Amino acid sequence: MGKSKGASPKLPEVGQWPDKIAPAVAIAGIVLTTLGFLMAFFYVPPVAGAAVDGVELIGGMMVANKLLISQKIFYFHMPVAMVSFVALAFSCYYGVRFLMTREWRYDTCSAIAIEIALVFVVATMATGEMWTRFEWGVWWTWEPRLTTYLVLMLIVIAYFVLRSAVDEPERRGVFCSVIAIIATIDVPICFAITRLIPSSIHPVVLREGGMSGEMGMCVALVAAGMFCIGFALYRARFGQVRLAQRVEAMKESLED
Amino acid sequence: MGLFSEKQELETKTAVSSDIAVSVTGLTKTFSTRKAVDKVSFELPKGAFLSVFGPNGAGKTTLLRMLSTLTRPTDGSIFIDGIDALEEPDIAREHMGLISHNAMLYPDLTAEENLLFYARLYGVKDPEKRVIELLDAVGLKHRRLDLVRTFSRGMTQRVSIARALINDPSVVLLDEPYSGLDPHAIEVFDQLIESVREDRTFIMVSHDLEKGLSMCTHALVLAKGRVVTFAERGDLDADEFRELYRSTVGMGVA
Amino acid sequence: MADRKKEKLQESGRSAICARPSTFAQYKTLLMKDLKQEFRTKDMIVSMGIYAVLVIVVFGVALSFAKPGSEFLEVSGGLLWSLVVFTSLLGLNRSFSHEMENGCMEGMLLAPLDRGAVFLAKMTSNVVFLLIVEVVAVPLYWLFFSSYATPADTAWMMIIPLLVGTVGIAGIGTLLSTITTRTRGKDVLLALLFVPVIFPLLYACVSATTAVLIGGDVVADTLMVSLVLAVGYDVIMILASWILYEFVVSA
Repeated sequence: MGKSKGASPKLPEVGQWPDKIAPAVAIAGIVLTTLGFLMAFFYVPPVAGAAVDGVELIGGMMVANKLLISQKIFYFHMPVAMVSFVALAFSCYYGVRFLMTREWRYDTCSAIAIEIALVFVVATMATGEMWTRFEWGVWWTWEPRLTTYLVLMLIVIAYFVLRSAVDEPERRGVFCSVIAIIATIDVPICFAITRLIPSSIHPVVLREGGMSGEMGMCVALVAAGMFCIGFALYRARFGQVRLAQRVEAMKESLED
Repeated sequence: MGLFSEKQELETKTAVSSDIAVSVTGLTKTFSTRKAVDKVSFELPKGAFLSVFGPNGAGKTTLLRMLSTLTRPTDGSIFIDGIDALEEPDIAREHMGLISHNAMLYPDLTAEENLLFYARLYGVKDPEKRVIELLDAVGLKHRRLDLVRTFSRGMTQRVSIARALINDPSVVLLDEPYSGLDPHAIEVFDQLIESVREDRTFIMVSHDLEKGLSMCTHALVLAKGRVVTFAERGDLDADEFRELYRSTVGMGVA
Repeated sequence: MADRKKEKLQESGRSAICARPSTFAQYKTLLMKDLKQEFRTKDMIVSMGIYAVLVIVVFGVALSFAKPGSEFLEVSGGLLWSLVVFTSLLGLNRSFSHEMENGCMEGMLLAPLDRGAVFLAKMTSNVVFLLIVEVVAVPLYWLFFSSYATPADTAWMMIIPLLVGTVGIAGIGTLLSTITTRTRGKDVLLALLFVPVIFPLLYACVSATTAVLIGGDVVADTLMVSLVLAVGYDVIMILASWILYEFVVSA
């Protein structure tokens, strides 16, 4: 999401440079993600970290020494989660800008950024679900990351309900900006708290060691691809919303 | 910035504030794509009574809310008694009072408690005395220990006048103050407003053309957020004005 | 220089009968108004108290086939906090109904008033009302479920997480209920926003409460971490709410 472009005093608008590069970025995103996909399955070796070492209880069954193919989900789960949080952070940034300037454009940007965040949060939850099912053998577990994303998803959904529940545009803008800011503050705290409080039931995600170089590369590749896709989606949606707003403005002026 | 220029600026400001109570320039409020108030400018001398007319959705209430510092304008400036209401909203607030169709009184507190609450917020010196004085002025001193919940609409609105005057404002804003009042209550209300006129400046938003015309010294007609007419009552022929108003309201409806 | 200009301008006005009170004086005025109103009508406290009893009754039904034993203590922290969350949701929904009823909120905003003081006053009154209800509801909970298990000697320390949690709930709850009272579908929307936002605090408080109920080694392990995190949440969220309140309340 390289649209921040903070130095320019101009308001975000359709047809500025991000839109010129958006199609190329979209293609790059698709290529990168596909490459990452192929890499995840054919290049990166299954790591010991995602295998069961010794004997463990998974989903009520004793499992020993099995390499789990489900680890491949990780290469998509993590990048998608990263994009969704970055999108939320952008929504917060535009929320702050809206509160400072009361420029409607920022409210629009904030709302669209959070829409993108929702898309990626849902993708995160879906991949996370698959992960827990195959890796840990349960449909849901109150693991810190999953919990954090559940909370994030709930706040984002509440954001949209709030948006549709306020008629006055200025009030809607202010309320939604405030919620975007609160959500962005809340989510890291949520992660920290669920992570730091000791509890015996939480499994550790990366069981031993960190990521290997190959794993890291693959994750980086998919992450870059996902960011590109997120950016392209954002610009496409932005163009669409701006068009609708212009039509609305024209209708207003015709009524005069 | 030298000391000298600062002083000069101060002098021009006080010079303005000596006879102009309210000065509005290029006031604009944009809601998303719609301009609710569009470049409204006017000046009111001290002691004037301005009636703002216009069809529904002309931006009257938005204008009044901006004047009362409840809503921030998109563009333009407001000076109340020479104070920049956008730069120094808190000081401007000390100079203003608002009477609205909403009483802004807590139904579960007594009239006296309500007024004391507001008096303390404004930091009125000797609030108890001021409250009794005001309740006496609106003729409700004997009911001061009754809950506002038990009051009739007319009585509530009288307490509301006392509430708006608690800080001895020089500019009083009236937002549809007659809605829900019966003819007798309206009469009482008018008499009260007349009795507190002194050298205060009033700005009233009302649907009632005749009412507004009978009280005002200045008239402002808004349509679609823009000023159609701004004139002093003396320069205005009442019939002509009614005709003009009807034509603009008609335009607004169509 | 700017201050002197301000003073001059103020003198030139006619508001000679007013002297701007300190923010603390205004805070006190606002708080006293809330307390006086509530203790006169007892709207919020009574409905919250009754609601708390009803929640306990529902718990009673839910647990009627559970085996009494020390496991009950592990669940109790969580149950107590769901009691607090549901009850405070009800109270928070009501805390602004008086302000909206007659446009009083606008009347308040017309005064030269630090908006932060409005937030702090409302938060304080919410803390007071919530604590009053908790003082009744928490012992009542133990009364009803005393046959299930006896909490450890450290159980009295539950007061600390209850205090920390209540302050946090009142803080963020005041901001959120100011938002939701001016929307359509206020009650549902408050729950929708409140529960996920309060989640981290709830998690920390449940952990701390459970630790003191079970007692033993767990207290040392968990209690401090949980409390520090809960206090951290309180500080960050209350600061954020306090800063953002100005925007919310004037919108």
